[in-house]
This record gives sequence, structure tokens and C-alpha cells, in this order.
Amino acid sequence: MIVFEEELKRFQPIPEVDQAEEAIYNNDLRDISDIVAQVTAELKGASMDAQLAGRIRR
Amino acid sequence: MATNIRPVMCPNCGAQIKKTGYCSACHMHINVLRKAYNTSDYYFNIGLDKAKARDLSGAIESLNQSLRYNKKNIMTRNLLGLIYYEMGEVVMALSHWVMSVNYQNSNNLASKYLKLLRQDPAQLEGVDQIAKKFNMALGYAESSDYDLAIIQIKAILGSNPHFVKGYLLLALLYIQVNNYEKARTTLRRVLKIDKANPLAIHYLHEMGDTDENIIQMRNESVENDGLFEDAYMEEVSVAEANSKPVSDSPIRRLLATIEDRYKKMTVKTGEFGEMRFAHYSGIYVMVGLVLGILLLFFVVVPAQKRNLRKENVNLTKQYSEEIASKNAEIAALQEEVASVQSQLDDILYSHDSTDNPLPDYSNIEHGLSEDDINMIVQSE
Repeated sequence: MIVFEEELKRFQPIPEVDQAEEAIYNNDLRDISDIVAQVTAELKGASMDAQLAGRIRR
Repeated sequence: MATNIRPVMCPNCGAQIKKTGYCSACHMHINVLRKAYNTSDYYFNIGLDKAKARDLSGAIESLNQSLRYNKKNIMTRNLLGLIYYEMGEVVMALSHWVMSVNYQNSNNLASKYLKLLRQDPAQLEGVDQIAKKFNMALGYAESSDYDLAIIQIKAILGSNPHFVKGYLLLALLYIQVNNYEKARTTLRRVLKIDKANPLAIHYLHEMGDTDENIIQMRNESVENDGLFEDAYMEEVSVAEANSKPVSDSPIRRLLATIEDRYKKMTVKTGEFGEMRFAHYSGIYVMVGLVLGILLLFFVVVPAQKRNLRKENVNLTKQYSEEIASKNAEIAALQEEVASVQSQLDDILYSHDSTDNPLPDYSNIEHGLSEDDINMIVQSE
């Protein structure tokens, strides 16, 4: 059974030409390398914190 | 003898890879990156195969998956842009091509596409108009102005016959107004562009079409399927009058060369029927009306008058005959009355004149005369 209102929600307005810039920015998705870089940075930050904590304890 | 070993560069940031395999700048392991890029290429190949089979929705899905592994995959970006362009979503195509050029400025097919688009500002204007009209039609549909939405969408599809989203919205509107035949025709056009469009297949299933029907539908021609030939023609033609057809644009010509390059367009789409005589339909209607009125006054009305006159004469004749027959009947009856009267007069006259008078009933008592009593006595 097709419910018109529900189906209509699938249709989103399409960007106009002057909104192309916004579409390009939105298009810049994150790939695996971004995620790995983020995880590495987080780990690096965590290890630096741990080293700092160790020094303080000493 | 000293050997010069070329340093391995990081494909992600371009810095040197250490002996440990990690990048000196972004600290990523080269094997992780290679694996990710290989997976990205793997999904690109799947996407390419799907695009070759004209399963554009499936291709978009695979290519997006490819970008999740490597967003800098130029081939993926370019093909994705091309598929969006084919489906009439030019702004999406532009965004992928711009990203592609951003990642690789030289020796990139996307810069050629963008250059061609820039050379044709009328086309960009057309694209903008299409986006505006589609969004307006969406607004009409949301506010239940289905007729207006249909007119608007048809105007868009007239100038951009590959706009899949437009066809899907049009099909949904036709389903809403219970015009299932038109909805099917519209969805058939979608399947010609995008063979396995999940939304089109979903709508067809909901309308009771089987998978066999859908497969058959893909092979049917969409030429002269009458999608634009109805009451909305005039409005559509007016809307189309100011728009420029895109079939001969440089980007279309470029697409043909790209098709060869990728060898992807194995399934040809049909040329859609155009509304050639739509511009003159108003004049045709006026001429038809005038001819109709003339026909009414010079042929239909005189014929009707003639018939009425003939009917009148027949009725007069019929009533005259009836009156004559009634008169004859009256005369016959009058004659009969006269003969009866004369017979009565004769009887009365003969009775007065005869010697044998009628018996005298003056002395009758109890209903019997004296002679009768005598006769009864004699007989006993």
C-alpha cells in the first residue's frame, strides 16, 4: 500500500546552482584514512597524557 | 656499488614512509592505506559494471562505497558525476567533478566536463530552472495541488527527459490521482534510464505488477507512449517555449565520447516522443469551435426545422382524417335515429288506425287480467 505522504518524504529538494558550493562542502565525506588519522591522533593524545601522568607521579 | 632506493611516499599525504611502514607525517601504515585503496578500486569496478548494465542506482551505491574507502579516487568521482548528470542531477554531478579536480588538477577528465559546462551558461541556467521547478512541484505536491505539481513536473521533463527524480515524483502523483496507466508509463521511462531503480520497482510492485512484467517493461519502447499527450499539453508547451533543448549541447556530445571511453553505455535509451504540435493546439481548438458553430447553424438547425414542419403537416393530416371519420359516424347515427323514430311513428299510427284495439288492462288486479283468469280456469 502506497501512502502518499510517506512516499513524498523520500523526495528531497534538489540543490540549485547557487547552492552548489554548499553541496560541494557537504560532499566532502570522511574515508578510512580520515578515520584512521583521527584514531591515531586520539591514541597519540592518550599516550602523551599517560606519559605526562607518569612523570607527575614520579 | 651504491644503489639508490627510491623512498616510498605516502599516498595519503605525500610524505615519506618510514622503514617501519608508517608515514612520517600522517602516521598511517602504508599497508592499511593500500588495502583501503584496493577496496575502493574493487567497489569502483562493481560500480562500473553496474553502470554498464544501466543499473544507475546500484552503481551510485557501489561508487559511494568506493569513496568511503578512498574519497580521493578520481575515477570514482568522475563516474559518479557522470551518472548524476545522466540522471538529470547536474548540481550533484558538478560537486563530484569539482571535488575530483580539487584532488587532482592535471590530467583529469572532470576538468574537461567542468570547462564544457562553463562554456554553456544557458545550460546552467536551464539546470537552475529545473531545480527551482522541481522544488516548486514538490511544494505543490505537499500542499495537495496535484494538478499543478503534474504540470510543473511535465514542464521539467520536457526539457530534461532523463530526470529520474522528476519521473518518480510524477509517477507518485499519478498513483495519488488513481491514474495507474500513466504511472506505469512514467515508471517505464525510469526503467529505461535506470534499469533497477528501487523506488520505481517498489511502486510497480505496489500497483500489482510482477517481476516478469517489470522485466518485460524494460524492453518495451517508450517512443510515442503518450505520456505528454493529454490535457496538460498546452501548459507544458507554454512552459517549454522559453527553455532550450539540451540534446545538442556540448556536454551531450562529450557524454558520447565518454561513453565510448568507459564503454559503459551498452544499453541505449530510446528517444522520447516530443510535443511538436503542442504550440498550435490553442489555434486548433479555436478553429474547431468556429467550424462546430457554423455546422450547427447551417446544417443541424435547418434540418431540425424541416423535420418539425413535416411532423406538423402529418399531424394536421391525421387530425383531419379523424374529424372526417367522426363526422361520418355522427351522420350514420343521426340516420339511424331518424329511421327508428319513423318506425315508432309507424307503429303508433298503425295501432290507432286498426279495429283490433289492444287489450284493456285497466281492470287488472294482482297482475292478471280477467281473460287470463278465465283462460286459467278453462285449462284447469
